[in-house]
Amino acid sequence: MRNRLMFLATLSLGVVTFSLVVSAQTPARGAAPPNPPASSKPADLAGDWAPDGRRGGIGQSLSISDIRGAKRGNEDDIPYQPWAREKTLAERTSTGPDPQFGNTTDPQVLYCEPPGVPHIYLWPIKTKFIQTPEAVYILHELGPYYRVVRLNSKHPDDPDPQWWGDSIGWYENGDTLVVDTIGFTDKTWLDQMGHPHTEKLHLTERYKRVNATTLELDMVIDDPGAYTKPWNSHRNFTISNTGFLRYQQICSVRENRRFEENLAKPALPAK
Amino acid sequence: MTNRSVILVGFVVGILAAAAPARAHHGATNVYDFSKPVVMKGTITKFEWLNPHNQIYFDVTDEKGVVSHWIAATEPPQVMLERGWSRRSLKEGDEVTVYVFAAKNGAKVGNLQKIVLADGKELFANGPPAPAPAK
Repeated sequence: MRNRLMFLATLSLGVVTFSLVVSAQTPARGAAPPNPPASSKPADLAGDWAPDGRRGGIGQSLSISDIRGAKRGNEDDIPYQPWAREKTLAERTSTGPDPQFGNTTDPQVLYCEPPGVPHIYLWPIKTKFIQTPEAVYILHELGPYYRVVRLNSKHPDDPDPQWWGDSIGWYENGDTLVVDTIGFTDKTWLDQMGHPHTEKLHLTERYKRVNATTLELDMVIDDPGAYTKPWNSHRNFTISNTGFLRYQQICSVRENRRFEENLAKPALPAK
Repeated sequence: MTNRSVILVGFVVGILAAAAPARAHHGATNVYDFSKPVVMKGTITKFEWLNPHNQIYFDVTDEKGVVSHWIAATEPPQVMLERGWSRRSLKEGDEVTVYVFAAKNGAKVGNLQKIVLADGKELFANGPPAPAPAK
């Protein structure tokens, strides 16, 4: 009897210890890697990258199964928490199947606020990577905005929530840049279909140079505050030779209103 | 169906397939009739090259001499640059034929499909879906 008790106690202690070790090694959902992997040789991301119209185009939604937003709130590849689904359905989009440009709740159109990432990749703009040993600077024609991805770095323990979050990165396999971002404000939409996120969002982007003219971006959206499990999205880019930032895609309330008055409002369906 | 017909149909389907994803950023199936464009002969009165979408103003005169004022939108300037347009692509007074996906509610606004200039040159709103690879 006594031996059996000792065996059970030892077994329980072992299970608890193992669990603690495993939980210490496996970051909780939404947590960034405590020790970023060492980089391989840098991927060559040189070029001006435009959304690939032949492979998916731009789209309005991050949902891979519903890039046009026709099933907003009911996509089969977005694992909503109930509140996140309700919020998505309550938003009024400026684009997609049922646009309400003049009455939208999209903060990027309504307030001309930064779209943040990954929302910026739902815009028909080019992206450019400036690679240095210390950081990768990701430039966008919209804004124009840019992000700084620190290499050989760690996230701060308690980053202040910001529009573009806190990004660190490393290279994999000589052809991929991995960007790991936490510390987001919850003010942005994930895309143009109103998918929300919280400050717990942990975004992982993998930019892979497939060949001379093709760049692919795989994303993992992990937000335990809004979604029941991590989910994936994808963008395709093709090289462009028309020049970067020949025209600045500025969000102007004045120009937005002009478009609304002249074109958007007159076209609205009669109530 | 002859080989030539097969090639022609394939080409048209290919163009449509390539153009579909590039439909105007704010293009909306509930708002505009994308099933077929309205075709009109008109005169450009103004071409605004600006965000969030370029705006093309043109007048159409019917057989009774009644003038209608139309506005068509394209994608924003930096996208149209990608597709070979510039702010000088159209100017006031140009006589044109305009193909527009018009508003379903009858308003004289819509998304541009293409414009044919007096010399026959065609300007496609969707243009090539992607630029040629850099050399």
